[in-house]
Amino acid sequence: MLFLSGKTKQKTKRLFYSVFIWVMAAVWFAPIFWMLVTSFKETGVAVVESPPRWLPQPVTLENYRVIFTASGGININLAFLNSILVATISSFAGLLVAIPAAYALARLRFPGQKIIFWTYVAVLAFPPVLFLVPNYFIIFQLNLMNTFSALILPGLGGTFGVFLLRQYMLGIPREIEEVAWIDGCSKLRFLISIGVPIIKPALVTLGLMTFLASWNNFLWPLLVLTTAKKFTLPIALVRFTAGWGDPFRGIGPSMAAAFMSVGPALVIFVLFRRYLMRGISLGSVVR
Amino acid sequence: MSRSLFKDIRREGGAYLFLLPHMFFFVLFIAAPLIYALVMSFHQWRIIGEPSYIGLANFLRIWGDSRFWNTVQNTTIFAAISVPVTVFLGLGLALILNQRFHGKLWPLVAFVSPAFFSSIGILFSWNWILASYPSGLANHYLAKLGIIESAMSWFRDTTLAWACIIVITAWWIVGFSVLLYLGILQRIPPEQYEAAKLDGAGPWARFVYITLPWIRNVMFFDVARHVILAFGLFDQVYILTEGGPAGSTRTMVYYLYSVGFERQQLGRAAAISWYIFLIVIFFGLVQLALLSRSIHSAEVE
Repeated sequence: MLFLSGKTKQKTKRLFYSVFIWVMAAVWFAPIFWMLVTSFKETGVAVVESPPRWLPQPVTLENYRVIFTASGGININLAFLNSILVATISSFAGLLVAIPAAYALARLRFPGQKIIFWTYVAVLAFPPVLFLVPNYFIIFQLNLMNTFSALILPGLGGTFGVFLLRQYMLGIPREIEEVAWIDGCSKLRFLISIGVPIIKPALVTLGLMTFLASWNNFLWPLLVLTTAKKFTLPIALVRFTAGWGDPFRGIGPSMAAAFMSVGPALVIFVLFRRYLMRGISLGSVVR
Repeated sequence: MSRSLFKDIRREGGAYLFLLPHMFFFVLFIAAPLIYALVMSFHQWRIIGEPSYIGLANFLRIWGDSRFWNTVQNTTIFAAISVPVTVFLGLGLALILNQRFHGKLWPLVAFVSPAFFSSIGILFSWNWILASYPSGLANHYLAKLGIIESAMSWFRDTTLAWACIIVITAWWIVGFSVLLYLGILQRIPPEQYEAAKLDGAGPWARFVYITLPWIRNVMFFDVARHVILAFGLFDQVYILTEGGPAGSTRTMVYYLYSVGFERQQLGRAAAISWYIFLIVIFFGLVQLALLSRSIHSAEVE
């Protein structure tokens, strides 16, 4: 029996606790590993092998070749690019309309400001499903069915981004602004050349949250997209898998395609987790 | 005086210009749809052709439809189980992650990142894990542990199908709750725990008398958020069970989807969305009350 000093004991305890959590995390993340592992297996091997192997044998890139060159109907490659395009435009356009609105609500004084702000906050309480049916009809009336605009434009009216940026702007000291005004800087110029650089972290946060929301969206694109050429990744995934009849007959390519959807979000999370975490707490600061 | 009035208008007009771009989309895709949703629900409304006013007929027809009440019951039971499961799981994981240990990045990625993944991506993976083959991951390991005797279909039995949906949903979205709780836990001053320890308070007492009051509002907020999410349940059912077996996993939004978009009865679908609204609005108001408090405190700062 070893005699451990108090400090060593504490260190050992912490090491055991760490290992325990790492293992638990590995088990928790297994569905994502399993997706990745299967994507490197031959389908014929994957569906019959017993016991299931956590290291593919043999390793094959065939599944990725299939989804990159798929000729019949669904093109995962194209859907991937569509999703990137839609998500990128959504986040930049969203910032472009939300920044000035948030600035007006946080810093300017004008009649009706309180009403507008509280209306914006109030609609956050509405269940999103309420907007589904009427927006479907409005998009149809605007002749935007089966266009990327149908995916991008409705999101621009959302008030969460305005709310989030306003919360952040309130934390910026007024003095900076007052100095700029005394120097004769116009409000627009102030916002562009001084305001935007100051709130950059919040912009990254909102931009990424909008990007991921668009990237992951399923029900809305399912309603408004009709042709394979316009499909975003989640829709293409569903159609692609349905194309195999029995979904497990194409499990290799399906898991490769699914990882195309999950992988980028994972990378974004790892690289920008601090920004995303701030978004969660800023958008719902409850004290 | 007239000059200062002119200046006022100019200054205020400027503020409205800042708001205008967002306001345009807000009116078009948030305000107008709310009015439309109300108008449509009183009409026989299809995508093409003249709508005809039918008063409360949509609401009454849905009220009298036993399939609708089935979906209400299904969704309510789902919410009643999955909300507490997710909230307590989120709090538990946050408490675990809030301890001191080495290599914090990996557990954070594992527990939290799935909440940022696409529903379809993760559902495909789970569907594959729950494959009915003997080589399906779940079947293989559970058989090995002796919990099941032979390979089984996970979505053929109502209770089992719901259990799978609840587990998968909690696994998927718990990350947001973890972040919420981690955020508030890290704001609790450590001195409070030290003082309580000196007074001889055990871990449970410290949790009840220090942690709980601190996180109470965040928990209310989280519960309200999850209830609203639960009544929006669609993707999981669409991918995993397609409403089966025998319609027992159909949810309210699934019902809305099939009425509104498969049968193109937009008016009736709008009426269904008002029923959903009535059920969750209380929780929306709870969220609103908590948010407005935080808005006031942010303004005071």
